Amino acid sequence: MKKYWIIARGIMEETMTYRLSFIMWRFRGVLQFLVLYYLWLALLPGNQTLFGYSQSRILTYVFASTLMSAIIFSTRVAELGETINKGDLSNDLLRPANYLLMWAARDVGDKLMNIMFSIGEFTILFIILRPPFFFQSNPFFLAATVITIAIATILFFFINMLLGCIGFWSNETWAPRFIFTILLQFFSGGLFPLDILPKPLFAFFSATPFPYLLYIPLKIYLGQLSFFEIGKSFFIASAWMIGVYLLLKIVWNKGMKLYTAQGR
Amino acid sequence: MPAITVSHLSKYYKIYQKEPGMLGSLKSLFNRKYQTSKAVDDISFSIEEGELIGFIGPNGAGKTTTLKCLSGLLYPTYGEVSVLGFTPHKRKHAYLKQIALVMGQKNQLWWDLPAMDSFLLNKEIYQIQDKQFKKTLDELSYLLAVKEFLHVQVRKLSLGQRMKCELIAALIHSPKVLFLDEPTIGLDVVMQQNLREFIKEYNQKFNATILLTSHYMEDVKQLCERVIIIDHGKILFDGKLADIVKEYAGHKLLTASFEKKIDKESLRAFGKIEEYEPLRVVLSIPRDKSSDIAAKLLDKFPVEDLNIEEPKIEDIIRDVFQKNKL
Repeated sequence: MKKYWIIARGIMEETMTYRLSFIMWRFRGVLQFLVLYYLWLALLPGNQTLFGYSQSRILTYVFASTLMSAIIFSTRVAELGETINKGDLSNDLLRPANYLLMWAARDVGDKLMNIMFSIGEFTILFIILRPPFFFQSNPFFLAATVITIAIATILFFFINMLLGCIGFWSNETWAPRFIFTILLQFFSGGLFPLDILPKPLFAFFSATPFPYLLYIPLKIYLGQLSFFEIGKSFFIASAWMIGVYLLLKIVWNKGMKLYTAQGR
Repeated sequence: MPAITVSHLSKYYKIYQKEPGMLGSLKSLFNRKYQTSKAVDDISFSIEEGELIGFIGPNGAGKTTTLKCLSGLLYPTYGEVSVLGFTPHKRKHAYLKQIALVMGQKNQLWWDLPAMDSFLLNKEIYQIQDKQFKKTLDELSYLLAVKEFLHVQVRKLSLGQRMKCELIAALIHSPKVLFLDEPTIGLDVVMQQNLREFIKEYNQKFNATILLTSHYMEDVKQLCERVIIIDHGKILFDGKLADIVKEYAGHKLLTASFEKKIDKESLRAFGKIEEYEPLRVVLSIPRDKSSDIAAKLLDKFPVEDLNIEEPKIEDIIRDVFQKNKL
């Protein structure tokens, strides 16, 4: 396992050599958070509720969603398509190591950097803004939150790998990824809680993987899902995780037969 | 048992063709034409353990594709490949641990970190013991004289320094089979020579099987006894370098210096004039008649000095490729 840790550590060191880019990236996240925070603060005065959310719950939602995004969505797999196109995947293929674990290790490195920084940023923001934050104390909800975050992280990783595999067939891997990012931002619940959508639309999205990436873990943290609903989400999210993994296996093996190790 | 056996290997690529210009790009959105390119077309050869073989051919001849098939990066379209008893494209870890592929224009080193970090990663990936790692690293860095820049960011190294570090990264697990694709490309003459000496030493010291491609004939001349010449995906020649001369050079080069000026026209009867100055001529003459022609020349002209040589290997190979084009 040590080899994978060295890969993760290398990614962290690499991130630190591009300090300015990384700081700007973090700054962008803080700005995005502040916009959402003040938007909801303006929409929802202290003692009212909107779509069933009190001010403290919605602000907690915004805070926690930004923190969870750092864990779930920080990734290096976005580079996979380009790595395939440039022929740099050859380096991975020549190594006696598992390709999925190598990419997972890169993600872990990226996630650790982002988590460390976001914790720092949010401590500062928390002290300055002093929001009415809802702390979940029920151990059941906390444990369920951790499990759903883990499932979401793995599911997101597999989806991301699958998107990267487009590189085996096409040089244009950014267009589908761009669309995916927009869908992701919207339908994972990063901008607003999904249950404020009309019921049929919400039901439709509940069948897609998107809500399980962010919205569901957040709702569980806020203690707003019943025991039954939590069980159902575990089931659907795990089914997606296994389904996407199996698809990835098939697509990867097909792609490998087409891989030309270009660039030379 | 040979270390490498290749039988009837073919690798075809599908290439997408686009007409030039904006209109061509638009058309290609809806209707793409593909063409099959035979990068490697039915080649067979085998290599014994410890051999150092030169793989030569012009750009696009199929050299790199063959190396990629042998190292397991590509699935062959047809044919069988076996290296150390493994089927390369299955990429079994036990196989990958025994080989290395070095591409002169590609790097495996971490660009933003010192080369040492990449070596340490390979140490873990190839599961090398601490003691063995230290020993190999010491040996390699001594042979390549790189000790002082192992801890410098790779991006700050010169091309030559980087190439040396690439080699160390590729050899740190002491591979038994080594595929070198243009290892000396872009390096200055001194560095090329250093690298050649290193490759030779590695081959002898570890009895490693090495397959090397290069554009520089000098690499091949100095390192390889046996060469495989490939063009348009087919093998044109497989044998000892010295045999190329016998097989392909139907002529020799005769150089004569004269005591007084000799008319160019009067020399034409003796052979094809390659170079001419009034006091000196280089003639290309049929191999089997070389002594007759020399005797006649000595008889007819006031010859001061006469020399018969084999043509240069570079020239012979160039001729082979040109003939193949026709």
